[in-house]
Amino acid sequence: MAASLDLVGRSGTGPREAADWSRRQVILTDLRSVRGRAYPRVIGLMREPSWVLFEILLPFLATSAYVFVYRALDAPQEYVGFVVLGGALTAFWLNVIWMMANQLYWEKSQGNLELYFAAPMHFMSILFGMALGGMVMSSTRAATVLVIAGAIYGVTFSVDQWALLLGVFVLTLGALYGLGMVLASLFLVWGREAWHMGQLMTEPVYFVSGLNFPVARLGMLGALSVAFVPLATGLDAMRQLAFADAAFPAGTPPPAVEVLILAAMTVISIVAARWMLIAMERRARRDGRLSVRWQ
Amino acid sequence: MSSLASASRDAARFDLARTEGRGLADTLRTFAVAARLGWQLEANWTDPFLFFIYSVAKPISSALILVVMLEVIGGPAGRAFRPFVVVGSALWSFVVSGIAGLAWSILEDRERYRVLKYVYISPSDFLIVLIGRGVARLGVGLAGVVITLVVGVVALGVPFEPAAVDWPLLLAASLLGLGSIIGLGLLMAGIVIQTRQESWSYPEAFAGALFLVTGAVFPLTVLPAPVQAIGLLTPLTWWIAGVREALFPGGPGSIGGDGSLFASVFGHANPGHAEIVGALLATGVVVTLAAVAVFRLSDRRAKSAGLYDQTTGS
Amino acid sequence: MPLLAIEVRGIRRVYAAKPEPVVALDGVDLQVAPGELFGLLGPNGAGKTTLIKILTTLLLPSSGTARVFGFDVEHDTKKIRRIMNMVAGGEQSGYGILTVREQLWMFTQFYGLTRHEGWRRVDELIEAVGLAEQRVQRVSTLSTGQRQKMNLARGLLNDPWILFLDEPTLGLDVAAARSLRELIVAWQHAVPGRTILLTTHYMAEADELCDRIAIVDRGRILAIGSPAELKKRVQHESIFRIEVDHLDGGAAALASLPGVVSASEAASATDTSTRQTVVMNLVLEDDGALGQVVGALAQTGSHILGLRKSEPTLEDVFVELVGRGFAESDVDATEAHD
Repeated sequence: MAASLDLVGRSGTGPREAADWSRRQVILTDLRSVRGRAYPRVIGLMREPSWVLFEILLPFLATSAYVFVYRALDAPQEYVGFVVLGGALTAFWLNVIWMMANQLYWEKSQGNLELYFAAPMHFMSILFGMALGGMVMSSTRAATVLVIAGAIYGVTFSVDQWALLLGVFVLTLGALYGLGMVLASLFLVWGREAWHMGQLMTEPVYFVSGLNFPVARLGMLGALSVAFVPLATGLDAMRQLAFADAAFPAGTPPPAVEVLILAAMTVISIVAARWMLIAMERRARRDGRLSVRWQ
Repeated sequence: MSSLASASRDAARFDLARTEGRGLADTLRTFAVAARLGWQLEANWTDPFLFFIYSVAKPISSALILVVMLEVIGGPAGRAFRPFVVVGSALWSFVVSGIAGLAWSILEDRERYRVLKYVYISPSDFLIVLIGRGVARLGVGLAGVVITLVVGVVALGVPFEPAAVDWPLLLAASLLGLGSIIGLGLLMAGIVIQTRQESWSYPEAFAGALFLVTGAVFPLTVLPAPVQAIGLLTPLTWWIAGVREALFPGGPGSIGGDGSLFASVFGHANPGHAEIVGALLATGVVVTLAAVAVFRLSDRRAKSAGLYDQTTGS
Repeated sequence: MPLLAIEVRGIRRVYAAKPEPVVALDGVDLQVAPGELFGLLGPNGAGKTTLIKILTTLLLPSSGTARVFGFDVEHDTKKIRRIMNMVAGGEQSGYGILTVREQLWMFTQFYGLTRHEGWRRVDELIEAVGLAEQRVQRVSTLSTGQRQKMNLARGLLNDPWILFLDEPTLGLDVAAARSLRELIVAWQHAVPGRTILLTTHYMAEADELCDRIAIVDRGRILAIGSPAELKKRVQHESIFRIEVDHLDGGAAALASLPGVVSASEAASATDTSTRQTVVMNLVLEDDGALGQVVGALAQTGSHILGLRKSEPTLEDVFVELVGRGFAESDVDATEAHD
């Protein structure tokens, strides 16, 4: 047994040398940590397939409800497309709220949070791994909504600028997940408030983001949303690009400007997340909240 | 030490009648304790102001989404439809609270508080405990309904005349609808016993699917006939129609109308009050019985697989 | 000055609590050399876990300094996390849906191992801790003892220079606890220089495992030393229990011998041939006086059937230092938190 426990063998290095990692080692550890944390998410999806019904098919039906609201109102066909696109993006927003930000609430109560902080990788790797693992579900849901709704409800996309559309999508995800990391840092020091705040970030955010209607219809509120809410900005830009033939109300910038807004949001949110995670970790260590379950 | 000594003396006089329980008295007490516990958990996480914001922000936002959709398409002409969507949206928040309440209690007690197994092996009826716990969320949902309707009347131009309210219909529909919602909640609870921690979103997804077929925010006539049939077999459809008809008599209905499946099957355009209550009762009973059966089956499987005392995170 | 594995100076930790703040650590000083298996022994609420959380960078001290291999716990957290690991007793962490093997592999990634190196190390450790049969079993189905072995394997994944064990045998049965202790010792002895800080309230465990022990109570270290040194604090005399076939004159005959502090008869025993025997408790000034006793017994024709030396326990040491036992200290800690 002793031989098998001599896993590494200490060949001349001391603890201070062992603690001194190169930049390459730090980066590789962070990347491997992303992979490591994504792993249980993906395995979980494979081992318990109920999510196919509850995370894909049923939400598709919920999106369909709003399609039928527009049909009841004899709305132009592009509004059906707006709802479908909004329903697809909802998947990523919910991934951010429930699979990233709120996940720390669960990790703390299960005792995993302190093990993560006792390990040497950057905590952002863990959050990104959670998001990546959850993205399998989100992407499947978004694709299902787009493809099936497109087929059933006759939604046709008219895209002139595919590269810009793809760029908007990628930046929207970047901004959303950056925001998710910021929220995760806040949830680190919250207890049950975190879960309720997550609940609060569904319908109210859907409203200000114009999930089912052009956000420009909200006037000043819509303009503010485009400036500050990544979901609103990304959705509005993607609608303008995916339905280039449709008539949009005035009040929001063109997609090229919204791309810049999204890029700025991504950078700001990731920088803010990094700073806030460090600050909140320090605060949690000061208050002894990294391992308290019953807040 | 003296308390331990007295306990051992009591053990010598063990009373077999203790194992019989006290029937209805125990049930009522279990319900009351569980409801109180549910309320404590539901309400003590923040200050009252933030709790109020939390309780009303979601249902009001849901209603506003629909109101804006109406404005976007219908303009002033669409405002006639506003009471329809505001009532449906307000009631839907109650539906979500009810369906989620029991299921979330299972997940909370199993994953977070890790007391599910202790609750389960206690002499209290597990079903009653769940219903009691769920009642607190229903209370929060009810508050959301009332406030949304008030906001609708005060700020969104929903016309409301208290004198015109059909109170007997409202009472009957509410009571029967409450039973159906609890039944659906039980169904979801039975499902999440079998699923993993990430199934927090399942009750809302289920409610979202029902949103499509129950005429909450658009008339059933818009749907294809087979989907309308599903709606007519769902108690929530009749409950929403009943409450809507009671609060706004003579307003647009969700079930009937020209070309609807209801009209083609029953031969007249709109259901009467008795039909609404009767259909709600019949579909509610069927759904509730089915939910209880699913729950019992799930319970048996959970005991067999040891699901009550494991955590399932990923 | 040689590098210390742990150096703690004047650490205080106060928790904000109602109705009044709780002082979990009240000016703790401690030094642990590399290669030691050092124990923190104390009742519940003594501050052991608080100190470990500070040293494992999960908690900041309210004042004072602490270093792990020269790295400050407040400012050099990343460096400490690269060379240490921790395992707590009663740990329920992990993802129930993963197998043992998968759960451990996930953690290898957090320590920067490559994918293949991670699987290889996981398989080695699973064998080493005796979980080979459970390797593809889901974490949620493990018994308490199996889970704790898995936790220990997790703690060894990165081959830490220092391992923090917080009540590692808590809740385990006798066999599982013994197995875990053997693993801990085997791991430490496998490579020179591995340091362990162990907290426990099981005196026998501290006595068996630790090179040195710090006795902790109410946030303070009361004494530090090896188990033998600590016991010597309270044992000023040598205590023996001796059984003889007969003794003319009874215990009084021995009490008067030089070097014998006291002699008293214990309950009489019956040997296998149903003869009455005499059992006595002897308190001697030191071990040397035993010769006098044996000689005196020989002169009276008594035959010695059994001889055993009694040693004080660490609880005796605790009682001597604090004035109350562990059980009473647990009650006090509970009442203080109510």
